[in-house]
Amino acid sequence: MNYVPGTASLIDDIDNVASCLPQTGSIVTDYNKHLVLLRDGRTLIGYLRSIDQFANLVFHQTVERIHVGKKFGDIPRGIFIVRGENVVLLGEIDVEKPCDTVLQQVSIEEILEEQRLQQQTKQETEKVKMQVLKDRGLSIPKADNLDEY
Amino acid sequence: SSPLQSLDEDCTLEEEDEGLVEEEDEIDQFNDDTFGAGAIDVEDRPGDGDLAESLARLILEADPAIAGVGAAERPGPPPGPGLSGLPPGPPPSSMLSYQQQQHLMRRGTAPMGQMNSHSIWENSMGFGPVSVTPGLVTHMEDSPLMSIIKEVGLPKRPPQGRNDEGRDLSERVPPPRSSSPVIGSPPVRAVPIGTPPKQPMSHALNHQIHHPTAVHVRAPVQHRYPTPFPERLSPNTLLNIANSPLCRGPFPPRVGPVLSQIQRAQLLNSQVGFPRGGPGPPLLPGGGGFRPFFGGPPPPHGHRMGPPPPHGPPNHTPPIRHNTTHLHPQHRRMLTQRMQSRGGDRGRTGGDRRSRDPYSNLMTQKEKEWVTKIQMMQLQSTDPYLDDYYYQNYYEKMEKRQERERDSSKKEHTTKLITPQVAKVEHTYRPVQFAGSLGKLTVSSVNNPRKMIDAVVTTRTDDEEKREKQVWNKRRQILYTVEKMYSLLLEVQDFEKRFVQTPEEDRDALVEQHKSNTEQLCSSLMEKEWEDRVSDEQCVMIMSVRKGKRLISRLLPFLPSPQATAVVMAIARNLPALAKKDKQDQVLCWLVEPVSTVIQSLSSSSLTDLLQELQGSEGQLATVLHNKFGVTLLYLILSEGERMQSSDPNCQLMDDNRWTELVFSVTRELLSVPSSALSPPLFTPPNLLSLFSRYVDRQRLELLQDKLQMSALSR
Repeated sequence: MNYVPGTASLIDDIDNVASCLPQTGSIVTDYNKHLVLLRDGRTLIGYLRSIDQFANLVFHQTVERIHVGKKFGDIPRGIFIVRGENVVLLGEIDVEKPCDTVLQQVSIEEILEEQRLQQQTKQETEKVKMQVLKDRGLSIPKADNLDEY
Repeated sequence: SSPLQSLDEDCTLEEEDEGLVEEEDEIDQFNDDTFGAGAIDVEDRPGDGDLAESLARLILEADPAIAGVGAAERPGPPPGPGLSGLPPGPPPSSMLSYQQQQHLMRRGTAPMGQMNSHSIWENSMGFGPVSVTPGLVTHMEDSPLMSIIKEVGLPKRPPQGRNDEGRDLSERVPPPRSSSPVIGSPPVRAVPIGTPPKQPMSHALNHQIHHPTAVHVRAPVQHRYPTPFPERLSPNTLLNIANSPLCRGPFPPRVGPVLSQIQRAQLLNSQVGFPRGGPGPPLLPGGGGFRPFFGGPPPPHGHRMGPPPPHGPPNHTPPIRHNTTHLHPQHRRMLTQRMQSRGGDRGRTGGDRRSRDPYSNLMTQKEKEWVTKIQMMQLQSTDPYLDDYYYQNYYEKMEKRQERERDSSKKEHTTKLITPQVAKVEHTYRPVQFAGSLGKLTVSSVNNPRKMIDAVVTTRTDDEEKREKQVWNKRRQILYTVEKMYSLLLEVQDFEKRFVQTPEEDRDALVEQHKSNTEQLCSSLMEKEWEDRVSDEQCVMIMSVRKGKRLISRLLPFLPSPQATAVVMAIARNLPALAKKDKQDQVLCWLVEPVSTVIQSLSSSSLTDLLQELQGSEGQLATVLHNKFGVTLLYLILSEGERMQSSDPNCQLMDDNRWTELVFSVTRELLSVPSSALSPPLFTPPNLLSLFSRYVDRQRLELLQDKLQMSALSR
């Protein structure tokens, strides 16, 4: 509880409940869900059950949420064990906060289809761009990341 | 065909023999390791004692596979503890499994001891799923093996010369160690470091690890399961111990190929209960879940089956006193405030929610503490200011801000660093020494790595590669120089802060250090031969990398004035080259601020010089105007000149014609260059127009105005 935010403080999040004031006197019955963003771009939401010192996570009743534009879809995945090095971000989901009404939930098939289309258009634009540049004899210079060693 | 056949058989025999021999060795090693040095000598020849046979017998009997095979014929007593009921003599062949019989036949006069040893282990060897099944069977309260060992007591050293095979077990035991019991490696852990504790850190475990006395397997009577395990374990055993606690839950039938011998042995002796459709007598019901041989806690059914009993009172989160000494006092204050505000609501609803979730508390409190302990251990630091710079600074700033808000009239006092300093414990490594050995053994370990491969560097003769490598090397060289300078620079920058914190006595030393650092920094920029001139080449080299540019921008404020001027001159002189190199990074503009500071401190003659440098070679000005930084620099210079002129009537700027001429050429260039080629500067100083008004006529002035405004707008 008195730990600087990090893996140590995660300990308190396990099985924990949102610590907000009950608004209208009704007790919030939902558990605290966690959202994790992985290095490969996936977003998982579930109950955090266990961690270890490498921040490997055990998620329960996980749902993979795919966002495409304004739509999103949830794919239930069950139990997930995430290796700590693949985590980009991890955070609690605040159940008290109002759900974003802009986003519209769709079925799994639909969202997967949307995702596929998105990937496709992205690839096509990339291809066109490269072609255009090539025609003009230009090229995008590679970012020189070698300043650090 | 029969001779051929026999040949084949021979061959296979050979192979199998060898294989078995190797396995034997392994097994024997495991044997030793598991049961201590020469502990239980299960390789006794028959007639040498009841021990081995009874042991073997019990095991054989205990094992339903064997039992099953010989069930019909065996008259023997039911499986159970105690030596008394067993007749001496070799077990009837009917009791032995098929493989064992084969071995017997092949081995001929192989001592029974060997057989017996095999019987323990071999039973579980490579039988495939079917055979393993029986092997994993028996659930008993007390494994017969354990009970035997219990009864037999501590092992005795085998008398010498007993084994004609030369397999003297005592040889395998490492000689008693004169120094640390650890073989130059990190302390042998019962389970690998990554495994969380399964139970309250068992006393016995720790006890055993840290005590060098030979510990042998004990089976405490009161426990349901044999708990402790021996100290000296082979890495393999360790691995298997690690594996076993992790394999919770019932074993799938097809576990055969996966397990190693030790594991199977463990399983043989462990209490495992699970429904088995295999042959053999019905099994005693297990306690559910696999319990490792080396004693784990009772399986966590409490967690899985049904809602767990509430842990203590429903109000699970009373304000717990955590150790907060390592936190910054400001942080501590914030946390306590936060806790207080939260404490009330949490308590109310926490308890019943927890009880409703069947999956909660998969992590026991012990495990949680264990993980946090690891995290906290990493945070111990002897120099928090170095290790945790941002944290310290953040809370310092917060404190300052709060103080300012609270009481603005109060004098600002510098905050002292209050974080606790952990004493640095020096762990000197002394390599392990064995008593009675000549010289020192080289044992390779984490603390003492040994060179295993002799890597020889061979230079490639390919020219192309050489060139490429040279380029790489050059770059690396530059980066290296930059890094070195950075460490000096950081020390110089931190000087002030440290100065404030050190006690009076040490301050002089610190000042000295600071001086030498600054000198070093300066000299790194100087020419090799002419000690007092800034090396153009060096500067350009450093600035060819992004890091270098950043370095120079941070370094300029700390350089003494003449050197800073010289550096700026060098920049101006080499601007085209720099601009070209910066095309990718586009970070020259980092230099604007420090350079402007320098410019503002220049004398008029220096300023003129600078302007001249900027226009140095033919066409340089055009390039300068192309580049954002260049334009900005130019404007800065001009603006400064204007400021000088307007503020100080005695300004020497106009003394020689240089300045005027230079400005003229600038205006000419500005007018002639197309607007598209003119790069918008970072900012346009307001007094430029007044400057130009001194030198050019109205028409040109208006043109200039348009151009400048245009470039300002297009930004």
